Amino acid sequence: VSTSTEAVRFTLDGQPLEARPGETILQAARRNGVAIPHLCYADGTRTDGNCRACVVEIEGERTLAPSCARRPAQDMKVHSRSDRALHSQKMVLELLLSDMPDTAYRRDSELDFWARRLDVGEPRFAARSQPEPDFSHPAIAVRLDACIQCTRCVRACREVQVNDVIGYAHRGADAKIVFDMDDPMGESTCVACGECVQACPTGALMPAGVAAELTPAQSATPSEWYGPARPAAV
Amino acid sequence: MPRATRKRSEAGLPVLRMRPIPKGRPTDPGALEEVRALLGDAPRRPDLLIEHLHRIQDAHGHLSARHLVALATEMRLTPAEVYEVATFYHHFDVVDDGETPPPALTVRVCDSIACELAGAGALIEALQDALGDQVRVTRSPCVGRCDQAPVAVVGENPVGTADVASVKAAVDDGSDGVQLPEYESFEAYMARGGYSAVHTCFGSARATEAMFDRIERFIEEADDSGLRGLGGAGFPAARKWQFVRAEPKPHYMVVNADEGEPGTFKDRYCLETHPHQVLEGMLIAACAVEADDVFLYVRDEYPAAREILSREIEVLKAWPELELPRIHLRRGAGAYICGEETGLIESIEGKRGMPRLRPPFPAQNGVFGLPTLVHNVETLYWLPEILRNGASSFAANGNDGHDGKRLFSVSGRVKRPGVYEAPNGITARQLIDTAGGMLDGHTFYAYLPGGASGGILPASKGDLPLDFGGKLAEHGCFVGSGAVVILSDHDRARDAALNVMRFFADESCGKCTPCRVGTAKSIELMRRDSWDRALLGELGTAMADASICGLGQAAPNPVRCVIEYFPEELES
Repeated sequence: VSTSTEAVRFTLDGQPLEARPGETILQAARRNGVAIPHLCYADGTRTDGNCRACVVEIEGERTLAPSCARRPAQDMKVHSRSDRALHSQKMVLELLLSDMPDTAYRRDSELDFWARRLDVGEPRFAARSQPEPDFSHPAIAVRLDACIQCTRCVRACREVQVNDVIGYAHRGADAKIVFDMDDPMGESTCVACGECVQACPTGALMPAGVAAELTPAQSATPSEWYGPARPAAV
Repeated sequence: MPRATRKRSEAGLPVLRMRPIPKGRPTDPGALEEVRALLGDAPRRPDLLIEHLHRIQDAHGHLSARHLVALATEMRLTPAEVYEVATFYHHFDVVDDGETPPPALTVRVCDSIACELAGAGALIEALQDALGDQVRVTRSPCVGRCDQAPVAVVGENPVGTADVASVKAAVDDGSDGVQLPEYESFEAYMARGGYSAVHTCFGSARATEAMFDRIERFIEEADDSGLRGLGGAGFPAARKWQFVRAEPKPHYMVVNADEGEPGTFKDRYCLETHPHQVLEGMLIAACAVEADDVFLYVRDEYPAAREILSREIEVLKAWPELELPRIHLRRGAGAYICGEETGLIESIEGKRGMPRLRPPFPAQNGVFGLPTLVHNVETLYWLPEILRNGASSFAANGNDGHDGKRLFSVSGRVKRPGVYEAPNGITARQLIDTAGGMLDGHTFYAYLPGGASGGILPASKGDLPLDFGGKLAEHGCFVGSGAVVILSDHDRARDAALNVMRFFADESCGKCTPCRVGTAKSIELMRRDSWDRALLGELGTAMADASICGLGQAAPNPVRCVIEYFPEELES
């Protein structure tokens, strides 16, 4: 982890930019009004870099890099809107969209926001087989068919609240969010703090009850940073 | 049952007042006692979680929910932390309350590429019928015995060139234990000059001030040997040492014996034939980076290698002339991804083997966040020879324009599959000749130059030199771990590609989207008679560009190769 105390000059999509000490490419871009899609990254929680929606092209590097987890180096040339970067950003969103339920569980799903923003059309992949919903908890509705495995809820529960009820179990396409030992949430050691609901970008974890589905959650959503979702102007 | 306390109301009637009970699964006192007995006086450190899970699995044949809760209690972890690790590894059988535990004996039939060519699919079905309910027959990813395909592992006993009769005989005889092969003993290794490299060159296996010059000279020289990381990435070995040495101490070292690349069995060969040669290489590298602790991580599919190492490390410890670093022998639990160096480091720390983001690299931030040198077994295997005979002599082994030599694992449709020591730059055709030629009735059709990850090439490209970079790279392929799988006119490249994509999907850790979702969607697209080449191509580009680690980045290679080199197979 870099501990430099000096600002770093780099270029983003050809524009000279200055990153504050410790800032990542994503943070510096956002501060300068450049929208790079991101789902697993959220302010205030540890960066995990798993969703890969925020990948950017860094000149001289073999593969794309997650802008949420990379700090720019002096004179680094970064491209967030090159064909190559956009291709992977959109493919990640399309892959995740292909496994979403037909109807979104919240109107401000971050996945939908970025998909609209990047003009990702109808996904071309067959959907996964979907898990059953879990309504065992009086306050929180669990519908993992909308889960994108970003683990923001795991980090919220384990690292922000230090409750450590939520885990990430199994592997590959079977990897799933679990409560304790894959128990119904209502029977788990969950204390209903709600941190995971605040963290969830897609509504897989929501306040229980019909009213919740009508009211956008109060977490910091991309539209607060980047304005309304709309097809990217070309 | 909720506990209740009885009070009397003013009218004298009993009032039932419910007291809250803790939520979640309670710790079963009996299970806790059993877990404590199994753990004995072993430390309860969280990095030992996988070792402790093994103790329970070994003793009970599975991991029951009550034991997992008890283990969490005993190790001061939460149930979620224990559960997510236990369910990550193939060799742990988590059984919830009310579920039926698996039968006491498991037969794992390898269904990776070489075994599938040899008829593993039919064998699995036949075994399921023949062995009945008392034995569990499961598919397994590559067990590292591709020279004996098809392989069925009965308990811990690998049955090579398996058929129903031989597997049934092993089951009926109760031959399900570890079979130790004949291997070179400490005395035999000493008799051929063993440990002279580490002993006479460094004077000790622990670095001292006086040795620094010698180490620096050796590192420069080793760099000239052309020795590269033979786990697959091919990074120059000596340069890794320089990176680690540049970091503040203490330093750690990891020996990656988690060989899992389908078609690869050369690390097992090294460990099961010349364990001391590997151990001497390990001491040389540990000395070069002044590592205080060495972690030897051996895949669970290699119990014989683990037992050999366990015995021979004790022999070394008893040798007074050698001052050793602390050596920790760790046991994998069935996860290909732990062969990826950062996944392996996570596993050593007792976690799910999910690769880390790089940078920072293990040389800066490895085991427990300390600078760590990670070496593959075969890389270490060659070090004593380089130190004794000189770097230039090792480099001279290569074919024209290539430095050094390595062990190739040759399997598939050849007469004598096996591990062959050969110069870097050798071709697939030459390796086929070395391995006794093609099987009778088979014509060379295609080959996988680097296991599941390195792509698939047609026989017309069989004269490309096999080495890191170079011509193979120009063809979008790589030699990786040196696993060369030969296909014949009885096979189709697209079937091989589907086999390895299934493998990647099964072995994906599930962390990043392009790999977790991309491998699953690829399989769905590849199962169709007619491939959507454009969509597979688009998907593959994103997987290669945006996945976190080499698994997801390499997974689309075989698909791309089929589209590019075998278009006629895709005509319907």
